[in-house]
Amino acid sequence: MIANLEWLDDPTVFRVGKLPAHSDHTVYRSAAEATQKSSSLIKSLDGTWQFNFANTPEQRLLNFEQLDFSTEQFNEIQVPGHIELQNYDQIQYINTLYPWEGKTYRRPPYALGSDNTYPGIFSDADDNTVGQYVKTFTLPENFTNQDVHIQFDGVEEAMYLWLNGQFVGYSEDSFSRAEFDLTPYLQVGENKLAVEVFKYSTAAFIEDQDMFRFSGIFRSVRLIAIPAVNVVDVHIKPVVSADLQHGDFSVTLTLAGELAGAHAQIVVNDPKGIVVLDKSVAANTTTTLAHEIFDEIQLWSHKQPNLYTLTVTIFDAKQQVVAVAPYEFGFRRLVKNDQNQVTLNNVPLHLNGVNRHEWSPTGGRNVSLAEMAADIQIFKDHHINAVRTSHYPNQVPWYGMCDEAGIYMMAETNLESHGSWQKMGAVEPSYNVPGSIPEWLDVVMDRAKSNFEQFKNHPSILFWSLGNESYTGDNIAAMDAYFKSMDDSRLTHYEGVFQNRVDEDRISDVESRMYAHPNEIAEYLANNPKKPYLNCEYMHSMGNSVGGFDEYVQLFDKFDTYLGGFIWDYIDQALYVTDEVTGQQVIRYGGDFDERHSDYEFSGNGIVFATRQPKPAMQEVSYYYGRYDNE
Amino acid sequence: MDATTTNKLQVVYGDGSLGIKGANYHYLFSYEKGGLESLQVAGKEWLYRVPKLTFWRATTDNDRGSHFSTKSAMWLGADMFTEATDVNVNVDGQELGQPIAPGNNRFSTEEFADTVSLTYTFLTATVPQTTVKVTYTIAHDGVLTICVAYTGHENLPELPTLGLRFVMPTLADGYRYDGLSGETYPDRMAGGRLGTYEVNGLPLTPYMVPQEMGMHMQTSQVSIARSTSLNNADFSKVTQYLTFAQTKEKFAFSALPYSALELENATHMEELPAPRRTVVTIYGAVRGVGGIDSWGTDVQQPYHIDATADHVFEFVIQPK
Repeated sequence: MIANLEWLDDPTVFRVGKLPAHSDHTVYRSAAEATQKSSSLIKSLDGTWQFNFANTPEQRLLNFEQLDFSTEQFNEIQVPGHIELQNYDQIQYINTLYPWEGKTYRRPPYALGSDNTYPGIFSDADDNTVGQYVKTFTLPENFTNQDVHIQFDGVEEAMYLWLNGQFVGYSEDSFSRAEFDLTPYLQVGENKLAVEVFKYSTAAFIEDQDMFRFSGIFRSVRLIAIPAVNVVDVHIKPVVSADLQHGDFSVTLTLAGELAGAHAQIVVNDPKGIVVLDKSVAANTTTTLAHEIFDEIQLWSHKQPNLYTLTVTIFDAKQQVVAVAPYEFGFRRLVKNDQNQVTLNNVPLHLNGVNRHEWSPTGGRNVSLAEMAADIQIFKDHHINAVRTSHYPNQVPWYGMCDEAGIYMMAETNLESHGSWQKMGAVEPSYNVPGSIPEWLDVVMDRAKSNFEQFKNHPSILFWSLGNESYTGDNIAAMDAYFKSMDDSRLTHYEGVFQNRVDEDRISDVESRMYAHPNEIAEYLANNPKKPYLNCEYMHSMGNSVGGFDEYVQLFDKFDTYLGGFIWDYIDQALYVTDEVTGQQVIRYGGDFDERHSDYEFSGNGIVFATRQPKPAMQEVSYYYGRYDNE
Repeated sequence: MDATTTNKLQVVYGDGSLGIKGANYHYLFSYEKGGLESLQVAGKEWLYRVPKLTFWRATTDNDRGSHFSTKSAMWLGADMFTEATDVNVNVDGQELGQPIAPGNNRFSTEEFADTVSLTYTFLTATVPQTTVKVTYTIAHDGVLTICVAYTGHENLPELPTLGLRFVMPTLADGYRYDGLSGETYPDRMAGGRLGTYEVNGLPLTPYMVPQEMGMHMQTSQVSIARSTSLNNADFSKVTQYLTFAQTKEKFAFSALPYSALELENATHMEELPAPRRTVVTIYGAVRGVGGIDSWGTDVQQPYHIDATADHVFEFVIQPK
């Protein structure tokens, strides 16, 4: 296949040659590697890459992916990292309006009729910057004679991939892992990997989150050696009996490779390490072990995040271990009853949560493990028990950290089309996407699927969120139906139906609003509510704020259908910059890079500063969240 | 004879000011500048200028979003330009008006009193104007009681804040207070824990856009520590303290190196001038910070400051 630049303009093309999304487990060669959490099947490609920046698609270097194209004149860039934070392109912060506001006139293809496709809208645009990346690598010795995949954890906003001059694939969805099979294109010795990253594609219409607008390979990249029998996917279904005493454990493995004569050993250790299951099953493409009953289970919750460990060990026909895939999971029972009460392990669920953009004052959305660990610690220190991954899937390790720390998650899909339906605060959906437009269905379904498939085994996830502020329509209803069809252990969440209630009976298990006044919430809950209520965003912590919190938490006392919510938000989006006057390191925010239009200081609404120093308001958050921390 | 032996206040009837001397303190009340011009304890000057009525707070993001600062913008001018229109001196219960020459020719170097009070009347730089009276009362032991009485007036917009600010000539070393932990406001103080807190320096809260900050609600007393002065002949580095304490009711205070206007003018922390003075403001009424949203919803109703109602607050300064 040949890479086609026009895919940038076509919302129906968002994955080419990309492998299906699957669970986020790690595969090791041996039990010893699994114990050390160091897999020799993985080779990181993070580090310095060669880089050429082009202001427009037209100005990019053609054929740079070819083996005979010399990249000696290329610059360098750090991967992972944003192109803008390495000063190749201007930094921009903008909230709801599209980033080309007032500069380029655009409408989403198909939004104003099936004939309105706007050829060249991004592929022939003068504001669509291009990052051309080259990485030369030599395959490790222990990767030879195996299939090799490559994983990109985050590339914003559209990427084309070549290996040794041959086209491998194309991917959109900046915040979901993209995996490709490199095997057919690998060669002995040096290999030339080329990635072309475009700042905009039609994905831009549905990635209009309130954030700094970046591009580039901003999360890690790695090569994966595929063992002779590979654990492609793990799907764990832990079900808790109504009396909370028994666990019904099922697991479905998707296996691939030399399955003949191979078998999978499935071991489960309880949180104390005691083996509670040890069975072997023949290795098939789909291998299921169903309804194993565990007695006296130790439940997972915020206060006691007990985790069981599943270890899948694959033996080949010669009884040699070829792959080990461990996975920590939990038993917890989330129920929404017919009175619209939601309980976790039979205790009313209180969401004392925050919205969290991934943010670092040095790395932007390239957040380090240390920063993530610091966030978990701040949550624990201040009784924050829940996080909404606003507004996109986060880095993979964050989900495991929330499992371990007992943080309830609202796992949001990468979807926000704010600028397409709301203008200067008013609802104006004349060119809304995805809406009910057929050409915009598959792309949002793909995003839902990537979110579900990757994170389905995490006990911390209580809600699948369809996205943020994208209005309503058939396509969002289809996302809701998808999550429900795949998963009865969690609830779906979407706020957009509040903007137009026509779809409220088929979208979202909860009544979700943002910035509702306490009296409005009480009015809803006092009048036979259709659904339990939660604040997907409340207590707007911009600057010196978070006053009057008591009026919200008191709703817990008055209504057992009130679930609490997520403060907007966790951390100020601001960047360290060297002050042009004093030479000191200072904090800068939207509009500070001469970018216009900007929404300026609206980038900073955290309960911690960009430096992760808690704002003074944190003691109020800590007090009230501590008081209503009931499980 | 002097005040140390009489346990009385020594009064100096000047022609532009009234001096009050005691064991280790000396107060100077200006008839021209509208208040206490000098507050000296153990030889150290604590005032850079006379205390000023404080009506403005640096706009918070909520204030901006809800257009509060626009609606109450008049108070910004009042904060800057409100002047005293009258001062009355009262010595041991006797009204003396403004006792300058020739009226004060009858006094001597040996004038003593048990109680002296001065009442300054201010007319706010607003339309319409209203009256604020600031009364300084000095007891025989030198304890200075300050009462601020704001007269409500119809047609005035809500007050951003109501306080009296003391600008000290140099940066404080820090302060110690009995009150609530952290930075608190009327609508954000449930999490504050009562206690005694020691603060080093005059820390700013690094809000991205500098704004109202550093409030401490429900304070019973605060002591400011300073070891520097602008007096070229004073080489002492001894730390001295000035204590503000409650009378009947607790008060709120902030101690920062900047006034609200300096904060208001900056869009980033690094634009604030080099810190060089100490601004201690004692508040009788504090507006909440709000939080429902930052684009239109005001602070909840109980936490507004009604400008049509009277407000009175009182506190003491202890010269030790």
